Amino acid sequence: MGLSNASEDLSSEMEVDAFRRLFPLRYFERHLAESIRPDGRPLGKARETSIFLGAVASANGSALVKIGSTTMLTAIKMEVMTPSLESPDEGCLAIDFHMPPICSPIVRPGRPAEASPVVSKQLSDTISSSRMIDLKELSLVGGKAAWMAYLNAAFSIMQDIYCLDADGALFDAALISAVAALSHLQIPAVAMNDDGKIVLVSGEDGQKPVNKEKRKLTLRSIPFSLTCILHKNYILADPTAEEESIMETHVTIVLDTSGQLISLYKPGGPALAYTSAIQDCVGLTGQRVKELKSYLDKENSAMEVVV
Amino acid sequence: MAGKGGSTPATYSPSPTTDKKKPSLFNEDLARPDGRSFHQCRPAFFRTGAVNAASGSAYAEVGNTKVIVSVFGPRESKKAMMYSDIGRLNCNVSFTTFATPIRGQGSDHKEYSSMLHKALEGAIILETFPKTTVDVFALVLESSGSDLPVVISCASLALADAGIMMYDLVASVSVSCFNKNLVIDPVLEEENGQDGSLMITCMPSRYEITQLTVTGEWSTPKINEGMQLCLDACAKLAKIMRSCLKEAVSDSQE
Repeated sequence: MGLSNASEDLSSEMEVDAFRRLFPLRYFERHLAESIRPDGRPLGKARETSIFLGAVASANGSALVKIGSTTMLTAIKMEVMTPSLESPDEGCLAIDFHMPPICSPIVRPGRPAEASPVVSKQLSDTISSSRMIDLKELSLVGGKAAWMAYLNAAFSIMQDIYCLDADGALFDAALISAVAALSHLQIPAVAMNDDGKIVLVSGEDGQKPVNKEKRKLTLRSIPFSLTCILHKNYILADPTAEEESIMETHVTIVLDTSGQLISLYKPGGPALAYTSAIQDCVGLTGQRVKELKSYLDKENSAMEVVV
Repeated sequence: MAGKGGSTPATYSPSPTTDKKKPSLFNEDLARPDGRSFHQCRPAFFRTGAVNAASGSAYAEVGNTKVIVSVFGPRESKKAMMYSDIGRLNCNVSFTTFATPIRGQGSDHKEYSSMLHKALEGAIILETFPKTTVDVFALVLESSGSDLPVVISCASLALADAGIMMYDLVASVSVSCFNKNLVIDPVLEEENGQDGSLMITCMPSRYEITQLTVTGEWSTPKINEGMQLCLDACAKLAKIMRSCLKEAVSDSQE
């Protein structure tokens, strides 16, 4: 009791920064009691979000997304592959999430960061569960013309997401970035040359067109996510890295544009996820989905105007 | 469904039909593929503070080459390292998988980390942070020729942004040799077809070179000509870098 009195006296005299460093949990709880966060946001509000399409000129589709300071760069390369025997009329989508050492002090070169495969897996599961992409659309099945030899090829979407700045809610930013890049993706026009290989259409002789013109990918229901922190009776939307490291219970909810729940991810933590808390998180995520969809639509409209 | 990604069979990128002939890089007017004259550099853009989580960071665009560098530290060295009176510098250069036209090709430049280290080591006052380590991490977002000089210039800006004491900014430019012609700041096509290359890293205010790299066959007069060309370009580049730092300071004061 004497010790707590001493620390109480000390804390009232110390600088705010020192208080924040030495007693981070109490610092945050002081703010939460006033329904505000240290960066001035209300509890349920996400940080400022911006989406920029076409950030990588050499890629078939790309997007740069910022949520607060968290920055994600996604680029997509289309490659040609032979489909597997189980699904000969389907293409493939591979997603890889990278955390290079530039993005955070705790990431070292060489071995991949701990969070990297977790986010990779979450992204793959989310995009496949939402059925946003019809893999049959990636098929390059030939055989329609008598002159054409049987063609067994399909497109493979190789999607790489790089975290350029890690400041919390990595999965949310990565998912928006992946979705934005897929909406920007242009499937290239390809033809089969004399060797039976697929090449880009360049107007030369000896090429049999397979995919006659560039086209966009058809996206069905688009998933968006929101990560929340549960702490005592509070729910904090879109946490920063500092908030994530101090408060341990995170819940990530993914909804698609039709309001259907795609994924719920709660990796441990001391706070129990009561039904009412989950419902509140779903409500916050619903608002966020509308917000993000309008951002993405606006950005795509701007791209179409330019083209 | 997700498993398909993991078991992707071998793939290849659809590319334009490869010409058997190697096309001439310069037409009759002796113009370069992007229209520059032989001794003209690409436009350079720098910005500091690109990564919030880092002590210092910088973003650079030179033509289509885009680089982002983060600096962390000075921070505690790993325990396995022995005691050192002066600070340590640790550098790492990596490429994104989509940086090159063919996916995943960028991982072949393993010597870049060591070259970046040698280039910066001479410019940093290591005595100012004994026993600790400064980490410099670079990521090449898009590769379009002359990547390493851009990385080095961007890294020195990131170090300045982090407040690391240096003798001078470090600027770097490279030049390619085609038979009798010298071409400064080559793009990817020019690099692929060059006879030799020369890269200079220098501290322009002190007129000192921290690194000189020569590949291919060069005669002594040609080396002198190439060096002078690079030094002049480095002086101009350093001006751009200094104005970028001044802008950042004046922006933060407003």
